[in-house]
Amino acid sequence: MFKGKLKMKDSLGYYIFLLPALIVLLVFRYYPMRGLFIAFQKFDIFAGIENSKFVGMQNFQRLFSSRDFLQVFRNTLVISALKIVLLFPMGIIVALILNELRSVVYKRFVQTVIYIPHFFSWVVVATLMNNFFSVSGGLMNRVINALGGESIGFLVSNTWFRSILIFSSGWKESGWNAIVYIAAIASINPDLYEAASIDGAGRLGKIRHITIPSIMPTVVMLLIIRVGWLLDAGTQQILVMYNPVVYEVADVIGTYVYRFGLGKMEYSLGAAAGLFNSVVGLLMVLLSNALSRKFRGVSIW
Amino acid sequence: MVKNKKNVIRRSREDVVVDTVVHVLIVLMLLLTLYPILNVFSKAFSSQTAIISNAVTIYPIGFQTSTMEYVLSSNLFSTAFKNSVTVTVLGTLLSVAVTSMAAYPFSKRNLIFYKPLIMLFVFTMWFSGGLIPTYLAYKELKMLNSLKVLILPAAINVYNMLLLKNYYESLPEALEEAARIDGANKFQIFFQIVLPLSMPVLATVCLFTAVGLWNDFYSPMMYNTRTQLRTLSQYLYDMVAQSGTDLTMSTNADDLMNNTLPEAVRAASIIASITPILVVYPFLQKYFVKGALIGSVKG
Repeated sequence: MFKGKLKMKDSLGYYIFLLPALIVLLVFRYYPMRGLFIAFQKFDIFAGIENSKFVGMQNFQRLFSSRDFLQVFRNTLVISALKIVLLFPMGIIVALILNELRSVVYKRFVQTVIYIPHFFSWVVVATLMNNFFSVSGGLMNRVINALGGESIGFLVSNTWFRSILIFSSGWKESGWNAIVYIAAIASINPDLYEAASIDGAGRLGKIRHITIPSIMPTVVMLLIIRVGWLLDAGTQQILVMYNPVVYEVADVIGTYVYRFGLGKMEYSLGAAAGLFNSVVGLLMVLLSNALSRKFRGVSIW
Repeated sequence: MVKNKKNVIRRSREDVVVDTVVHVLIVLMLLLTLYPILNVFSKAFSSQTAIISNAVTIYPIGFQTSTMEYVLSSNLFSTAFKNSVTVTVLGTLLSVAVTSMAAYPFSKRNLIFYKPLIMLFVFTMWFSGGLIPTYLAYKELKMLNSLKVLILPAAINVYNMLLLKNYYESLPEALEEAARIDGANKFQIFFQIVLPLSMPVLATVCLFTAVGLWNDFYSPMMYNTRTQLRTLSQYLYDMVAQSGTDLTMSTNADDLMNNTLPEAVRAASIIASITPILVVYPFLQKYFVKGALIGSVKG
């Protein structure tokens, strides 16, 4: 297949296929990056990027000396880390449970149902969850009341709000995240199970000694990739679900950039926070790619 | 059959325990997934008094369709619905056309400048100007407050491009070679041979693009503020935001008279906006699942 480089004329023919995509890429992805300069300026919207005053690292100094941003940065890390620790295993657990179902029809039905929430937008999920955790008639509080407890205002509680975020995220994606592991389990050689049975292994024994070790490579690789996206705590989700009462525990970099940068027209500060986010994010993704390449011997793309 | 018989004979105590635990967990999972959906569905079709008295759980009480009729006939909803359909249809067509074409040269690893070119694309998956610079650039390009700001930037999807590239690479080279010998040019080869053979993965890419555009609320929220440009997600968001911290319910007499109890209207709007996805999803599930797999395992 690889008969050395193509001739220039041949390559030119192929470049035509690239042209529309390149234009879109340059205009809508690369051209906006020019605006990153304003992170180092005291940006004046009337003067524009060319004529605004250069202030060096001043915006970053302001950012890192503000209590707000440090809180926001900490929230981002905490929410994201909680999501990884509590939700990353969910996909694996769901796949393991499904694998123990013997009826194919039942299994397919369950899969169909648990994949559905993945296709709802965050706005829809937020509404469903608001209902679910509502003080007036939400299922959660019904259960608490039935057990003799007092209703809890989950959505306006600094103690509970992060749990609500994590629950909602798990509700939306746990089923979907199981797909990869279901496929990985399906590709395990049945002889292994046969041999284990002969050796007297029970079902739990087979899960522990065959299923889990067999899907481990997939697990490790997906975990590395997931950790690479640590700075993405779920901006879209938080943007629709939070409210001023819980800013303290739920405001993350993405929502901060929106509220300060766009909302309060602090363009330079917002751009600085965004740039910080993008650069650290890029470094983490590159690092995790390098790790997973080393681990698996192939790159992700 | 043989296997089943064996299981019946050898159902040990462990088997019974595992089966019981598995079934309990599965039922819990199903209930947890379905309850919030059924609850909103029931509220959309329940009488207002039933909703206010918190009687509604997973089936409608005092069945009525007037809330749904009110939502479907309201201007706000129909404008938003129309905008979402426009953005989804045009956006999907454009994105799949541009993306599927862009993937083709990258299936030729011996392309001159292969590495720098593909890096140019892949880099944008990891790094972006971020919200503020992008906002300012769109403003400069006179893109704000238009439906094109939702359609044009979505025309290239690098992730989908990589899926398609991998699929093209898996097609037998001999087919293209034969066509070339018959005198077909690159465009004929692509449109008449490569694309028709790639239908399964194109279908997957189409679905993901369409769902993404239909559900996107970030871009409209950031770049469009005019009411007539509102998409369904924005329309829903406005209602959620109104209700956000306001956890006491409106029992305003006017609302009751007009079947516009906010909670009921919200429920009916949610149902109306997820119905297209729910109707299509079961039939296309295999394409969705395939997409999730080629994406995460091979990439």
